[in-house]
Amino acid sequence: MATFFNTYGFLIVSMLLAALLALSLYLPLMAGQLSLASPGFYALGGYIAAVLSTRVFVTQPGGLFPVPLVLLEMLIGGLASGVLAIIVGVPALRLRGIYLALATIAFIEIVQVLALNLEITGGAVGIFGIPQPFKTQIEYIWIAAPLLLIVALFVYRLERTRVGRAFIAIREDELAADAMGVNPTTNKVLAFTMGAIVAGTVGALGAHFLNTWNARQGTFDASIGYLAFVLIGGSWTFLGPVLGGMALTALPEVLRSMSDNGALPSWLGEFMKDGRFIIYGFLLVLGTVFLPQGFVSPALFERRSKRKEGKEVPPASPAQRGQGLGVS
Amino acid sequence: MQANAWSLGLRTDVTVTVNIRRRFKMFKMFRRVRLGSITALAIGAMLLVACGGELATAIPGAPTIEPTTAAGIATTVSGAADTAVAAGNTAVSGAGTVISEAATALPTTVAGAATSIAGALGSGPIPIGIGVAQTGAVALLGQEEVTGAQVAEKFFNDKGGVNGTQIKLIFQDTAGDEAGAINAFQSLINQGNVVGIVGPTLSQQAFSADPIADRAHVPVLGPSNTAKGIPQIGDYIARVSAPVAVVAPNAIDAALGINPNIKNVVVLYAQDDAFSKSETGTFQDTVKAKGLNLTQVLTFSTKDTDFQKQATDTISQKPDLVIVSGLAQDGGNLVKQLRDLGYKGLIIGGNGLNTANVFKVCQAQCDGLIIAEAYSPEANTDMNSQFKEAMKAKQGDKPPSQFNAQAFTGVQVFVEALKSLDNKSKISGMSLADLRTALNKEILAGKYDTPLGSISFTPEGEINQAKFYVAQIKMNPDGTTGTFTYIK
Amino acid sequence: MDLTSFVQSLLNGLSIGSVYAIFALGYTLVFSILGIINFAHAAVFTLGAYFTYALVGGAVGFNGLLANKALPFGLPFALALILGSVLAGLVAVIIEVLAFRPLRAKRADPLLTLVSSLGVAILITNLIQYLVGAEPYSFPSNTYEGLPPAINFGTPNSPIPIRSAQVVIFGVSVVILVILTFIINYTQFGKALRAVAEDATTASLLGINTDFYILLAFFLSGFLGGVAGTLVGSSVTIAGPYFGISFGLKGLAVIVLGGLGSIPGAVAGGLVIGLAESFLPAELSSYRDAVAFAVLFIVLLIRPRGLLGRTQIQKV
Repeated sequence: MATFFNTYGFLIVSMLLAALLALSLYLPLMAGQLSLASPGFYALGGYIAAVLSTRVFVTQPGGLFPVPLVLLEMLIGGLASGVLAIIVGVPALRLRGIYLALATIAFIEIVQVLALNLEITGGAVGIFGIPQPFKTQIEYIWIAAPLLLIVALFVYRLERTRVGRAFIAIREDELAADAMGVNPTTNKVLAFTMGAIVAGTVGALGAHFLNTWNARQGTFDASIGYLAFVLIGGSWTFLGPVLGGMALTALPEVLRSMSDNGALPSWLGEFMKDGRFIIYGFLLVLGTVFLPQGFVSPALFERRSKRKEGKEVPPASPAQRGQGLGVS
Repeated sequence: MQANAWSLGLRTDVTVTVNIRRRFKMFKMFRRVRLGSITALAIGAMLLVACGGELATAIPGAPTIEPTTAAGIATTVSGAADTAVAAGNTAVSGAGTVISEAATALPTTVAGAATSIAGALGSGPIPIGIGVAQTGAVALLGQEEVTGAQVAEKFFNDKGGVNGTQIKLIFQDTAGDEAGAINAFQSLINQGNVVGIVGPTLSQQAFSADPIADRAHVPVLGPSNTAKGIPQIGDYIARVSAPVAVVAPNAIDAALGINPNIKNVVVLYAQDDAFSKSETGTFQDTVKAKGLNLTQVLTFSTKDTDFQKQATDTISQKPDLVIVSGLAQDGGNLVKQLRDLGYKGLIIGGNGLNTANVFKVCQAQCDGLIIAEAYSPEANTDMNSQFKEAMKAKQGDKPPSQFNAQAFTGVQVFVEALKSLDNKSKISGMSLADLRTALNKEILAGKYDTPLGSISFTPEGEINQAKFYVAQIKMNPDGTTGTFTYIK
Repeated sequence: MDLTSFVQSLLNGLSIGSVYAIFALGYTLVFSILGIINFAHAAVFTLGAYFTYALVGGAVGFNGLLANKALPFGLPFALALILGSVLAGLVAVIIEVLAFRPLRAKRADPLLTLVSSLGVAILITNLIQYLVGAEPYSFPSNTYEGLPPAINFGTPNSPIPIRSAQVVIFGVSVVILVILTFIINYTQFGKALRAVAEDATTASLLGINTDFYILLAFFLSGFLGGVAGTLVGSSVTIAGPYFGISFGLKGLAVIVLGGLGSIPGAVAGGLVIGLAESFLPAELSSYRDAVAFAVLFIVLLIRPRGLLGRTQIQKV
């Protein structure tokens, strides 16, 4: 068990963080907005924590970094991301579908180039020697797990508050929602900002967790990865992104460990290790083709509740209704 | 667009009501299920905590024969059972350790610290971890390191390994990112039960994964981490890759030797590469210190392939010397395109271009490129000849690269340090934790005759390399193969 | 800025932009028919270059499963280019059948095709790496026999050099643009394609075999990807399995800037970004990668559907 936690402690916490990042992308998607900006805010949060913990909150070397300071950094990272999200979001959210997605990718790229060029971010080398609040990686679970629970509960509650319903109304039909008195711009920016706050907070924790922070964090690849978390998991309820994030983060490592335990013929073991991204890509295709609604699909719920509720037609997933790419 | 909404107000109104009502129904329906899921999540989390707590409390009860400062939980390597009897008491004494920090609820341990390696070492080969980028964007470098390490494994095992015990390299791919490096290191440390690790490929990955190994008290040798601050990560971190500061100035001296009339210098570097970024700083300082005129500094990215703009911007400065800090692919392309576009002066390539892979990129246009080297295939030492011979069996006429040589050196340092440690006290009798710590001390104390020349380490873990080289590329008439001709 | 450096920057921009344009042409073709972004296009682009490399008789390096192997024959470059691109086109067809068609049949979320094509891209990239390693591969230096390494567009005293390979790429992109425009606007095939793009259901009701035309569009897109990959590879070497991926993101910016689905738009977008990058002062060269995206961001705010994109009336 101890060996298990030592080996996979990092992975377990990575899975929780991935779930959180998936939720940060799910929030704007709740309001029908495909924003890929999360990695940009993730990077920002991480830089804030990295700079604060190495330059401002200096503790004596050797000792553990106080946990309350980590929480404070997370708060600052989240707030700063939120403010930036409002500044970026107000003009950008006039765009729809893939155009919005592209504008948010442009945002990520610009953040990345800035990170490479600014003095304070340490350029390509980045910031290193970030002090550790814990002795091992698994203990980060004490922050990551409650954070995930809080955010998941928040999203779960949000789905049935006035604001959440406004989001869903916009996702279902923006014009109609507008006509009903739901202000699309305000609500879209709100959803976008919430996602950014989550990403920024996770970034601040991530900087400590990874020991170092540099311009390679929060790239375009990462944003597509998060999108895969959401869509493979299912974009229909918050559980989809959470499970999708966890499963897809664990997959390459599961393949690695399967190849190591010696139960397989050696050529297959070798392939599972060296070719694990081939398998990952293959499973990504299989997953989308055979489970187009994600793991957590409406059908899954339908089966479980059929006995009591009788037959109910499952609604289509949000983007299925054509909000997605918005092309004629 | 907005006008449509007004004209169609009524209809959309209805749609939305229907949609929202349907949603409500769904919510009601799934509330129970979702609450159930959340409960399940919560129970899972609690179980996890309980589990951890149980382990933590169980630890004081573990056999406490020889308390060490390294925390650990008794486990045995699978497959070691048959030899455990033979290993006798030493195995037991190695297996027993206590946790010194039981305050945290989860098992916070140095992984596998108490593994009874005695049995494993007694019969089987000694595991050494290689955690480099076999896949991902920097796989080009990682694969050269893999080749170098594989050659070393065969080379030293053929020579009798560690006083008769073979070594076994365990490869875990770090891919190109930080998280991958941590995962690979964790796997090597805890499941591979390696005595030490050669890796990772990139400095950024080292900043991420090395602290983990340091906390687990596992010695790490960086094969290609050249950024400032790597050996300072911790006591267990050292590197066999010389920091750029000492390599670069030699190349400028060599260029001045070829053409004493150099005045104007243009410097280009890959801004997204930690190595090139550090190197260019040294180059720029040296240029200024020599009283040369640094007319322009331009940047590119390692992902770039088209350097039309950088090349013409460079040529417009009419430089006598161009200095390029980048990696083989981008740096080689830049050199080729500079030449294609008519630049005739000298070019210095940084340490990242010190690989035969560059031949394929700039082809005939590589000719005359001056390279700052931490390893030279032309170096005329006995060890280097043996290394070249071993590499030839693996990859034919392609000259060994610096990354080949540095990974080889990493394995060599481990093997020789294990040997000299074994001569002092039998390593088969040590627990893995003790072995790792003792090995780390031994590594830092030793002096090694490697393909890189004679090397040793500072107490901090920085490499002391006796010799650096400057070479000039000489391309063969076929335009695809060439040699690094040693000039300084 | 004097005339020479102005002309040099202008030509640099066209040269840089033509690489973006040639990459984007095949990319945008699939978008115009299916309305989806095919991330796998970058991988097909890479594959095309490798296919051609193998067909000219190039040997594999020392890493990977196929280490040190080579085909027993070597074709002339032009023939290899066509054959390699056909192979790339066939790969694109396989991708359509395995990763896109099932999703279309299930009327799945169009975003899902992003993920599925991403999966294909990851698969192909890593497969290349597994088989032939991460080494760069280059075509023989005499690929463009008779052409000098660079062509001088200025005078001997104030030279304005452009590399010949880039001039070839520019020429080929323009030729492809013209041919594609002709095919799409004036042939039976093109008309059917446009009908499918407009409304697949109606098109199939009118007796157009939509699946067949979509297949053809993928083939064409893969073929163009293969041509582009080979030509760019011959200009700057095939940089390894991630060769195409590094163009993918800017390629995306290019086709969005030009207007999604617009074929002249892809070329226009490529040239605009190329020019913007080349006129960036040398002192700011470290911000060059941000330029494409800054331009994209600004253009999108002014023209939310790109430069040549059709303004769309939203229907309720």
